[in-house]
Amino acid sequence: MTDAQIFDQGYRTYSGPRTGLRGALRSLVIASLRATLGLGRKARHKIIPILTIAISYLPAIVILGIVVLLGEVTADEANYYGYYDGVISIAVVLMVAFMVPQLLCTDRRTGLLGVYLASPLNRPTYLLGKAITAVILLLTVTLGPPLIVLLGYSLQGVGPDGFTNWVETFAKIILSSLVLGIFLTSIGLAISATTDRWGTATATIIGVLIASGIVTGLLVEESDLSPAIRLFSLVSLPLQLIHRIHNDEGFWTYSENPTWSLWLAFFGWVLASLAFVWSRYRTLLVRR
Amino acid sequence: MPLVSALNISKTYGQFSALSDVSFEIEQGITGLLGANGAGKTTMLGMIIGLHAPTSGTLEVLGHNPWTAGPAVRERLGYAPEHHTLPPDMPAVEFVRHVAELHGLPKDEAATRASDALWLVDLGEERFRSMGTMSTGQRQRVKLAQAIAHDPNLILLDEPTDGLDPVQRDAMLDLIRHVSSEIGINVILSSHLLDEVEKICDSVVIIGNGVTLAAGKLDELRNTDSTGVVLELDANDEQVEWVLTYLRAHGLQAAANRRRITVEGTDETVFDITRDACVTGDIGIVRLGPRSLSLEDVFLEQLG
Repeated sequence: MTDAQIFDQGYRTYSGPRTGLRGALRSLVIASLRATLGLGRKARHKIIPILTIAISYLPAIVILGIVVLLGEVTADEANYYGYYDGVISIAVVLMVAFMVPQLLCTDRRTGLLGVYLASPLNRPTYLLGKAITAVILLLTVTLGPPLIVLLGYSLQGVGPDGFTNWVETFAKIILSSLVLGIFLTSIGLAISATTDRWGTATATIIGVLIASGIVTGLLVEESDLSPAIRLFSLVSLPLQLIHRIHNDEGFWTYSENPTWSLWLAFFGWVLASLAFVWSRYRTLLVRR
Repeated sequence: MPLVSALNISKTYGQFSALSDVSFEIEQGITGLLGANGAGKTTMLGMIIGLHAPTSGTLEVLGHNPWTAGPAVRERLGYAPEHHTLPPDMPAVEFVRHVAELHGLPKDEAATRASDALWLVDLGEERFRSMGTMSTGQRQRVKLAQAIAHDPNLILLDEPTDGLDPVQRDAMLDLIRHVSSEIGINVILSSHLLDEVEKICDSVVIIGNGVTLAAGKLDELRNTDSTGVVLELDANDEQVEWVLTYLRAHGLQAAANRRRITVEGTDETVFDITRDACVTGDIGIVRLGPRSLSLEDVFLEQLG
């Protein structure tokens, strides 16, 4: 028998420090990442994220396995941008189409946007948090696989020669990933800003990305229009830019477009998309 | 210092004037923000939160301009929206914790207080349930919990009893009263239901057609110290006029608002003369009592 007693402390007040806008932004990013990746949700919410990440990482791991087991690649043959043309671009398109709309549409549809804007966040900082989340999501599929390949090659002794080359290759991989991530994030956010229904946004993103490639290709090939039209192809433009970052000529279809025009188109698309998102949210009537 | 101070606030959207020259002060306790649908309550709440700036006038919330010092103000505000469509897949405790973190609480503290707040609103056992599986009453409680979890100075509740049955409604009002009186969190309760505002509020701001109709302590507005009687008749305009003439002929001051007559006077005979007027004129009485205004009386009086 002890003399211990349990007292009801009642509802306590909080007088400690508050984390301010920075804390609010961090909380928004973490919660958005968790929701989009299906963490803490039922299994069905995890299917697309797992599938997307598997699609992007599996080939890199397989390629690395072949190198390790068979040693069939030399330092001259190794490239760190070819992956973007194939599987990573598919994974990125899937991620943009299925996950980016969840970042914006769901908050508007559930009214959570009103709760966010009643916190220290405001419209610009809310959008900044969502953009950061989208870029982080896309970097998981654009940055991870080539980095794994770089590290694997380096460990096998077929990586870039010398420290300077290694750092240069590393920087190019980072830049390439950011180019692809930022470009498609901007497009995805712009389309997601047009509707409260993420299913509609998903279908529109897939449609726009695919159609832009087909239409621009037809216009240049069949109608003999300027090759500059290809700068409106929303998937191949950033991929082509990645080739140029790695000093590769890239797709023959882009041979008539100088690198500066690709950068100009890149920044044009990104800025126009973000300006569109802002114009939508600036005047958006928040449901309360 | 008042919690909220509005001076000559106007808000226009293009040609539409949502608020026009609104002035009031909100002090400690529970304040009802009253008005019919479309009166401008939601616009006013939006400006208090700092979602939009007034077109003209001065607004201060917790001593700051909410438009220019938005993050600092909103950090100390709690807000429960009117709508019920919270993220359906999210467990209640995760939602409340997330909102607490958004308002600046460190992660561990936010987690602890999220549980505390849900226990306080009687959802402790249900805190891990997804909000999509909860009833309207439970979701209203979750909204109250997320508004108070970060220990704000002031919470704004937008129609907190919307969708509740009478028993749930009374329980929610008791809870709001408890939050204010026991925990010391000030409340602005936006509602179009006069009786619930009358039941728990200390003060009231009545907005109608975009202007302030009345603002102040509820007791003062109801004018409980006043004298005389209030007579409500089952009569036509002619009969109302007849009663007025009768009362004035007996030396009483009387004024009519439709079928409601207010009779001034401190003498006990005022009640008798008023009753006699109805009996003499064979006019039906709906209500005859001391002049203690209900909030509805105040509201109707202000609307004219």
